[in-house]
Amino acid sequence: MSETSAPTTARTLRTGPGRLLVAVYGVFALAATARGSYQLATRFDEAPTAYALSLFAGIVYLVAAVGLARAGRTSRLVALVSCAVEMAGVLVVGTASVFWPSVFPEDTVWSGFGSGYLFIPLVLPALGLWWILRVHRLDRG
Amino acid sequence: MVDWLTMTIQMVSLAMAGWCLVSTFRDQPMVVPHLVGMGVLWLLVLGQVAAATVTVVGGDRPAETAMFVSYLATVALLPPACAVWGFMERSKWGPAVIAFACLILPVLFVRLEQLWSPVV
Repeated sequence: MSETSAPTTARTLRTGPGRLLVAVYGVFALAATARGSYQLATRFDEAPTAYALSLFAGIVYLVAAVGLARAGRTSRLVALVSCAVEMAGVLVVGTASVFWPSVFPEDTVWSGFGSGYLFIPLVLPALGLWWILRVHRLDRG
Repeated sequence: MVDWLTMTIQMVSLAMAGWCLVSTFRDQPMVVPHLVGMGVLWLLVLGQVAAATVTVVGGDRPAETAMFVSYLATVALLPPACAVWGFMERSKWGPAVIAFACLILPVLFVRLEQLWSPVV
């Protein structure tokens, strides 16, 4: 409904497949943030690193969701960076949790490349990056 | 938690997901009947949320009450939020959003039931 306020020349990230992407990011942001804050609040002593990481992941998903949902150049950059951070996060934490399980005794969203979440955390940033770069290319071409 | 209501919600939700997936693959945008379907689903969810809230306030609460309440809030908000977000999109990606929401909803209810009566 606020489509009219978006710049008409620039394609926005929130239309078409982007609409679904924002929805998925939104749900993930909520899930990871809620889970992370709950764990930090109640069981901080058990595994502060893992729980802080869950919360961090949630915040990154939130930033990505907002970046994708808003039209404009700056938010596109914000979305690109947050998707890149996610990609790096899921790869680094995923690898670490497989080879050095002792580093992450408790599960995070990114443990085992997101195997606890149907590998969605691994697929999501890839789709996000693809979509942002595609919109960017269409915009310039 | 009312058991039969959870079952009904999960069935209706999956049916909505199927319907919306068909719309997506047929390249149709969201139409008013989709919205009505989401409205019915939302009413069922709100009924369950109300029942659970009454029980929790009445003193019969699950071990992880905070977690349970946050899941309750999520299931209460998910259908309207996704319905509005999907309806704003006038392409096949509108129903796709609803399909996603309706696939997530039964999973959230499984978690709610687990929190309600943990099998330990």
